[in-house]
Order: sequence, then C-alpha cells, then structure tokens
Amino acid sequence: MFVVNDRVDLALTLDADAVHLGDEDLPVPEARRIVGDRMVIGYSPATLVDAIQGERLGADYLGVGPVYGTSTKSDAGEAVGTRRIAIVCRSVSIPVVGIGGINAANAGPVIDAGAAGVAVISSVVAADDIREATLALTRAVQSATSAE
Amino acid sequence: MITIPRLHLISDSRLCPLDQFAVVAMRAVDGGVDAVHVRERTVSSGQLLDVALDLRDRLQGRAKLFINDRVDVALLSGANGVELGEDSLPVSGVRTLIHARLLVGRSVHSIDGATRAEADGADFVIAGHVYETASKQRQPGRGLAFVEAIAGAVSIPVIAIGGITPSRAREVVNAGAYGVAVLSGILAADDARSAARNYAEAMGIGR
Repeated sequence: MFVVNDRVDLALTLDADAVHLGDEDLPVPEARRIVGDRMVIGYSPATLVDAIQGERLGADYLGVGPVYGTSTKSDAGEAVGTRRIAIVCRSVSIPVVGIGGINAANAGPVIDAGAAGVAVISSVVAADDIREATLALTRAVQSATSAE
Repeated sequence: MITIPRLHLISDSRLCPLDQFAVVAMRAVDGGVDAVHVRERTVSSGQLLDVALDLRDRLQGRAKLFINDRVDVALLSGANGVELGEDSLPVSGVRTLIHARLLVGRSVHSIDGATRAEADGADFVIAGHVYETASKQRQPGRGLAFVEAIAGAVSIPVIAIGGITPSRAREVVNAGAYGVAVLSGILAADDARSAARNYAEAMGIGR
C-alpha cells in the first residue's frame, strides 16, 4: 500500500492507495470530497475526541502516538504510551496504527493494546540492515497478533 | 470563453502578514487587480484552506482567486485556478486531475520552460523575473528582451513578474506581455487601492 502524507493532490496524481492527514492538514471530509471511495484516508487525531470525530467523519484508520519517546518528530509531543492505544481502540471501530519510537523489541505491547499495526521511521530507516530490521518488526507484530 | 486576468496580486507574508492579506487584497481589487494569488509555502494545509475560503467569500467573483502549488486546496476552496512553480506538480498531471475546471498558470524562467508549459496545457505563464527585485536578491533581472522572447515563443498569455512598477508595467506590456504580477508594488504601498489603480491605468485597463 502506497500512502502519501498531507498532499491529496499529489496522492491523486500518483494514484496512491491512501492519503494520511495530520491534525493541521485538510479536514477528513474535505479530502473525501476529492478522493471519493477510491482512496483510503488515514488520520492522526490530537485527542481522543478528535479520534472519535475522525471515525465519524469518514477516516478509514487512525494513526495514534507517539506511543514511546521519539527523536524523529520534534513536534510530536509527549509519549502517550500503550494505554492511549487501548483507550482509542475501545472508543472506535476502525483500525488503529501505533506510531512513535516503535521497534521490534517494543512493538508487541502496542499490538497487545489493540493496535492493528505499527508505523515506524527510524527503527527501519536508520537501521544498518533495513531488510533485517523490517523482518524483525514484522515477526514481532505477527507473533503479538497471533497470540491474541 | 474565460478571460485570463491581467493584473495579478501575489501574497508574500514577508511583506504583508497572512492574516492581513485579505483586507489588502480587497483594496487592491477596488483599484483594479483582477487576480489574487495565495502563495504561502510554510503554512499548514488546513490554514491554507481557511485563508482561501475566506478570500473566495470576500472576492465574490470580483477577481479570480489562484492558489499556488496546492491543487487540492484550489479545488476545495472553489478557487478559479492554480499557479504552479517549477517544483510543483507537472502541468500535464494537474490538467488530468482537474480537466477544465480550473485555470492553470505556470511560473517559467526560460523560453524552453514557457514552450513546455504551453505544450503541457497551461492557460498562461508567469515569466520572470524581469527586473531586479528584493524578493530575488543578487540575481540580475532578465530584462525586456526576455519578455519579448517569451511572448514571441508562445501563444498563451504571458504575465510578467519581478520588480514591476507602474511605469515598467507599461513597458512590459509594450514588449508583448499580456499582464503583470505584483508583490511589493502593492503589498508594501501605503494605499493598496491607489497603488493598484496606478498599475491598471499604466496598462490601460482602468475600470
């Protein structure tokens, strides 16, 4: 799945599978007006109320974080922990993806808390062996998922 | 037949803070500006959409509204067109996306760029910079010959940009430009309306 951040026009031009919208990006219903049903829309809510609202406004999944401390994004705010994942997952019925400081060693608890998946930057991009790091993450997520 | 505007005002938050731009733009429209461009690359998409919606409501069709770079914001705000830079989405791709719903202007800096923009389906080009300008320091202007060359190379309207004063507006129109785009000449003026009127009169488009 190919996801473009923020730019709905770019996502359409590239025929992407999804567009991901942050809290200060175009509102979800506005983006939906342009992409219709042909594209998945992800949304990163700033609060629990935003998360519930995001689902009602038509987001297909939510990105929630930062789960753990992260150095990638200076404006990400304080770590919310897996507890926030659990709370959001109980409050919405669309899939939740955890993000922020996640690696193969700590991905399991994110899935255990109810997340459908994880999103990562540095634990893959900054790894010495990108393929190996990705495989380790995939194994961690899969084993946590099948343990449920 | 859609008329391409001739006197374009382009936003620049260094010269006029974004929260004051709409008021200044409306005064400029009173003076004869017939296109208002929102060119802000540093604000969030959500804020850009709010600014565009506010301008569209104020303009009420009295001048055409253009959004720089962001085709999605242009579509959602009901703007009349998009202005694409050299690092924006390609004109041909945008044309596929919007068909004929929006006007497409393309910034160009060479004859090659202008002929390519025309071939790709742009409705007009914004060519510059013609004169030395504070916004592009240390780069000499390309001069009137540049305007003549571009106007001779393409059949779509050429909007000249860069250091254009009212008297220079007359000059570039005589050199073949269809219109001009202005930033500081209006945004930094004490009175945006009379500044705009000076341009309109110099170009012979008084209302």
